[in-house]
Amino acid sequence: MARPGGRTTAEAVREAEAGLDSHREDGMRSLAATLARLEAVCAAREEGAEAQVYELASAFADMAGFFDTGPLYAAAFSLCETSDRMIAGACWQWPSVEVHLRAVRLILAAGCDANETSRLLLGGLATIVARLPKQPG
Amino acid sequence: MTRIPRQSDRVNLEHITVLLIDDNLQALDILSSVIQGFGVKEQIRCSSAVEATEVIRRRPVDLVLVDCAMPEMDGYDFIRWLRRETPAPARQTPVIMLTGHAAASGVRKSRDCGASFIVTKPLTPTVLLQRIVWLSTDEREFIQSETYVGPDRRVRNMGPPLNVAGRRKGDLSTHVGVALEANMDQSDIDSLFKPRRVAL
Repeated sequence: MARPGGRTTAEAVREAEAGLDSHREDGMRSLAATLARLEAVCAAREEGAEAQVYELASAFADMAGFFDTGPLYAAAFSLCETSDRMIAGACWQWPSVEVHLRAVRLILAAGCDANETSRLLLGGLATIVARLPKQPG
Repeated sequence: MTRIPRQSDRVNLEHITVLLIDDNLQALDILSSVIQGFGVKEQIRCSSAVEATEVIRRRPVDLVLVDCAMPEMDGYDFIRWLRRETPAPARQTPVIMLTGHAAASGVRKSRDCGASFIVTKPLTPTVLLQRIVWLSTDEREFIQSETYVGPDRRVRNMGPPLNVAGRRKGDLSTHVGVALEANMDQSDIDSLFKPRRVAL
């Protein structure tokens, strides 16, 4: 790493960000597809689908976390946390998932802008998470 | 802990080989673009941890980036295998674990399986590059015990240097501040060292 040559940290970050941006459009398409799958799972409310919700939410957060999606990532993370805690605490409630998915849909439709609406939505989601039993570390 | 690299610092990652492991091919593509942006010329991409174990058996790599959640063999199991089942120097390969949803239990699990660093999303190239630079000068001892194999988990939180943004309340410092009391004069110092008869 200390060998001569290479690039400055600023150049390296700039190049990496450009590389990341080149995937943004595909990434957003994939997020929309994952959200549709989550909505379908939630609509079906099949028994035993809880783990699938966490897996899909986790995949959604994974992808959203590559890009500057602000409130979208935060809402997806909240859904992960909610489903994780509900599974661990054996207190699964589909409405909690539903509310999250509506929030994610709204934030996505608004272009992932961090504004008053997204702040209020995230505040509501935080209330849901706070009510659930915390997982022991 | 090494200082945060400045924007003008040069990094040369052209000669290192990075192993990327993620079962999501799209995520693998994205990660690959980021690493390429850092100037890495040789990357090996694996869509499963099992495939990655074959790579490690065949050849050395300088850095591993692995996603935590994968079917069959997840990131935690892969790191445990790397640290315990491979000979040195492969077992000491720096590993950065990437995670989207990092519950506290997951972070502890990553640390205890022997990961060198855990990078949580949202992922920014700045943070990832910082971690890679830090790992290149990592001074932590490599611990090999019955219950744990990996970099020393007892990290002193030195934090960024004083007056640099990002320091936390509990960060330690090697900085010696301004004296709070007047200097002792020589006669006071001498009196502390003067041998005295002790009555027994």
